Amino acid sequence: MKKGEVAVSYLFVLPALVLVVVLLLVPMAQNIYYSFFEWDGLSKPLFNGLSNYTRLVVDRDFLISLRNTLIWVGFTLVFPVMGGLLVAVFVDGVVGERFFKSIFFIPLTISFVATGIIWTYMFSKELGVLNNLFELIGLPLKPSWLTGVPLNTFSMLIAWTWQQLGTNMVLFLMGLSTIPVEPIEASIIDGASNFQTFVHIKLPMLRPITTVVITMAMVNSFKAFDIIYVMTRGGPYHSSETLAVTMFRETFTFFHLGYGAAIAVVLSIIVIGVSALYIRRMANKDLLYY
Amino acid sequence: MRGGARARKIPTYVILIVLVLLWVLPVWTTFLVSFKSSQDFVSQKFYQLPTKVSFVDNLKNVLKIYRLHEHFLNSVLYAVAGAAIAIAVSSLAGFSLVRLKPPLFFLLFLIIYSGTLFPFQMYLIPVYRLYNVLGLYNTRVGLILIYGAICTPFALFVYRGFYTTIPKEIEDAAKIDGCGPVRTFFSIFLPQSLPPTAVVALFQMTWIWNDLLFGMVLSRTQNIRPIMVALATMSGYGGGNIPYIMTAVIMTAIPTILLFVLLQKYFIKGMTLSVAGG
Repeated sequence: MKKGEVAVSYLFVLPALVLVVVLLLVPMAQNIYYSFFEWDGLSKPLFNGLSNYTRLVVDRDFLISLRNTLIWVGFTLVFPVMGGLLVAVFVDGVVGERFFKSIFFIPLTISFVATGIIWTYMFSKELGVLNNLFELIGLPLKPSWLTGVPLNTFSMLIAWTWQQLGTNMVLFLMGLSTIPVEPIEASIIDGASNFQTFVHIKLPMLRPITTVVITMAMVNSFKAFDIIYVMTRGGPYHSSETLAVTMFRETFTFFHLGYGAAIAVVLSIIVIGVSALYIRRMANKDLLYY
Repeated sequence: MRGGARARKIPTYVILIVLVLLWVLPVWTTFLVSFKSSQDFVSQKFYQLPTKVSFVDNLKNVLKIYRLHEHFLNSVLYAVAGAAIAIAVSSLAGFSLVRLKPPLFFLLFLIIYSGTLFPFQMYLIPVYRLYNVLGLYNTRVGLILIYGAICTPFALFVYRGFYTTIPKEIEDAAKIDGCGPVRTFFSIFLPQSLPPTAVVALFQMTWIWNDLLFGMVLSRTQNIRPIMVALATMSGYGGGNIPYIMTAVIMTAIPTILLFVLLQKYFIKGMTLSVAGG
């Protein structure tokens, strides 16, 4: 390459590079740095080594938050993900497919905040839709959806599923459309039932898209903040927080910036670790499979 | 039908209809409530129709009391400007990384792309601090910049993917005609870039519009705050006026719904791209 051209090529990349390095990468490194300090944001930071991390291990609120985070991931894998797959299978090729697709799709177009508000109303104890619906049909149930523990986490996960299932459904439908017809037809000719065809032929061929869906769904569930903030603020008494929410509270409500930074680091390690592990496991399996 | 003839039994439809009803219920009740006045809402059952349609009144009050139009316009600015920045810097960078291929191009790509690896919490505190130091805290410019930065990795990914599909012959022909990199980009690549630009615009404008976290952390005064922060604050007092809130929910959802409707064919393209590399 001519010398002038090299300069131009770097110049083209420069704005993007500067923007990302200055506002994303350097801060990321700084966050790791801050996590070893005690700092309220105003006065001088005090170095305290691994104290923030050792404090995390015994912090009851943090452990509850961790538990909730795991509940979020687990529930997400079952309902939005598997549910998305099932709905995709039901909807695929059915009469009125486009209609059904758009129904499940609508929640995707609105924000997490809007979803949280809509479902807060659904779950409201006195005036809410669900409890009044129960009353209407004579069901003697009047749960405190958003204040009971751990019911509040599960209530929020219902709202989460309502919103997220659509994305997974769309992705699975994309995957289903790439499955060639011949193996399916062959298996039906061989006398396999629909269910057997699904389990033994379609499911394995969906593996690449399943990997993507699961990874994305897990990462999204770790990142969920808006919906929790809007529905319960993480309460009552920190009972429905996940790591993302706890980090926010420690940092911006209590001004324990170093501690918050440590929580952010732990969250990041979990997110990256889980994604990497899962992707590697799937990649190996694919090699074996083919 | 795909997969050969498979009789769709009644149970499939029953299940689907039930699910559809469940999915539509929250949407329907939201609309219903936003059409009620406060008196109607408190005195009626949830399924009863309002005595008079109060949607317009609710909307007027919402705008008057909570000044949502200010936040609305702020968010329009943030979404458009933030996405525009990401589009501008990423199309340039994508072009360079794919066609001009500076030395270390893969490393540069990785560096920028690593912006997507970490959860937002990792950037939050240091950027908050940086903005305080630089005087960008609680400024529109500050918000636009962070939104632009966050949107850049995905945008770069999209542009890079798209530019690898542009045939080399076109670029070679341009070179023969004496075009330098600048002219090649602006006269040839950029004009063809509608699809990736539409994908980036759809996804990133939607993301910026829906953002709560950065809008909340990096702004303080009402005149700077984006729409979702205002919406969250409105609903944050353990109740408040539910018809007003639902009206606001609908009002703030319209832009993103509109965006989706207008650019829907790019949505599938965008999903395909996320799958291929995300």
